[in-house]
Amino acid sequence: MISVSGLEVVFGAGTPLEKRALRGVDLVVPAGQFVSVIGSNGAGKSTLLGSLAGDVKPTRGTIEIAGQDAARLSGNGRARAVARVFQDPLAGSCGALTIEENLALAHARGKRRGLGLAVTSSRRELFRERLKELGLGLENRLEDQMALLSGGQRQAVSLIMATLARADLLLLDEHTAALDPAMAEFVMSLTERVIGETGVTTLMVTHSMRQALDHGDRTVMLHEGKVVLDVSGDERRTMQVEDLLHMFKRMRGQELDDDALLIG
Amino acid sequence: MSEIAFLGAVELGLVYGFVALGVYLSFRILDFPDLTVDGSFPLGAAVAAVMILAGVNPWLASFAALAAGACAGLVTATLNQRFGILHLLASILTMIALFSINLRVMGRPNVALIMQDTVLTPFRGLGLPDHYVRPLFVAVLLVIAVVLVARFLKSEFGLAMRATGVNAKMARAQGVSTSLHVYAGIALANGLVGFSGALFAQTNGFADVTSGIGTIVVGLAAVIVGETLLKTRGILIALIGCVVGSVLYRIAIQLALSADAIGLQASDLNLVTAVLVAIALVLPRLRARRAA
Repeated sequence: MISVSGLEVVFGAGTPLEKRALRGVDLVVPAGQFVSVIGSNGAGKSTLLGSLAGDVKPTRGTIEIAGQDAARLSGNGRARAVARVFQDPLAGSCGALTIEENLALAHARGKRRGLGLAVTSSRRELFRERLKELGLGLENRLEDQMALLSGGQRQAVSLIMATLARADLLLLDEHTAALDPAMAEFVMSLTERVIGETGVTTLMVTHSMRQALDHGDRTVMLHEGKVVLDVSGDERRTMQVEDLLHMFKRMRGQELDDDALLIG
Repeated sequence: MSEIAFLGAVELGLVYGFVALGVYLSFRILDFPDLTVDGSFPLGAAVAAVMILAGVNPWLASFAALAAGACAGLVTATLNQRFGILHLLASILTMIALFSINLRVMGRPNVALIMQDTVLTPFRGLGLPDHYVRPLFVAVLLVIAVVLVARFLKSEFGLAMRATGVNAKMARAQGVSTSLHVYAGIALANGLVGFSGALFAQTNGFADVTSGIGTIVVGLAAVIVGETLLKTRGILIALIGCVVGSVLYRIAIQLALSADAIGLQASDLNLVTAVLVAIALVLPRLRARRAA
């Protein structure tokens, strides 16, 4: 279970550029739930994700990941609890290393790294099996450099990497935003499959309302650093993008002029 | 070029092969331009020479030189990682500090090791002439070093070090302590360079405080020549390339200096070095332009 309470993040406190990115976010995500997070630019999506990942230090409030106080989890401990897939396909893997070396790095996520061989034959077998799920033929290219793969292929491998070692929380940071529509579709269905198989608690940030409603069990909308909408169950199943927009407008009592939310 | 001059060049190339391995680790694996080596090379030579003169076992003295080099690397890594000083500047600071430290270690600008027992002593008088024994001995040590470094870079720890150099953000997301790997990598790199200095002192019979000048250029030249000749993504081949590059570089210098027709003399060494390195850097680009 992930429990965020009273989370506030202020950047540049006390300076003219002070920015209150999060203004008291409360969010409880039961184990195994798949939550999509939506909001316009500057709503605080990235800050929320960064706080969960440990990149951003909360100004106030607490985060608990699977019963552990996240503030006490640093470096390796946080990496053991949280797996991530980045928006930029180049950011989540090492282009200069081979596919199997990237997988080996991810396989040891949050574990002690000793002087034993990183790529053993039994691990190679495991990697081959996991890559086969993709149906991209990558299982025969284990020793190819990661840089030779397309953005979509790299993102697909990043998903496999994120789920090689057990995690309490999977963070997807607009992980299909940089892909063409067909590839984005493929990576999304792969995402559903991988999450279904592992049952990992997931937070997916997206810019697309369509994607936010079509995937996962629950949708949370952020606006100006607060949760303004939180729907799940039957209410969400029958919800259309237009309803979401309408609710959003009514709730904020203002016109929405950011058409970025409509895209997709 | 005489046979003795040729073997002398090979020997020097092999001794500097350790420098090339160190420079490969810092520049290529960690993407950390580390000039500390100009100080850690004479530091290794000084430590080994002084200890041998004091009657310490030459192997012990050589490994003490390795440890001293590693400590110098740790100073650079600390200035960079702990205090946020730019890597290049941090390494220059350590380098100039080491000049004074090396003078302190030796107590004078140079120390002779004539008639002292060195790591080479047991292998002398086995029937082979001395100018064969020295390069063979260094070659054996270098092969061991190449195998160990290659194996290290294929370990989980070594792989994390490579990831640190390629994509630090990704490495951190995988729980890799990038700072720990910079410390370890720069220490290992300078340890190899310090060991190289110790071998230099013992094969040449002296340690000199100025012998470190240009070490970084020699190391980089070896790495670049190796990369130009052996195009590979494999770690072991890349390391072998560094060693081959180091030897070829020395032979090229020897050829240039011994060709009387060109009219070069020993004092032209630095000019020849710079020209050779520039050529090694320019050639791949020209080749790429022609291919395009």
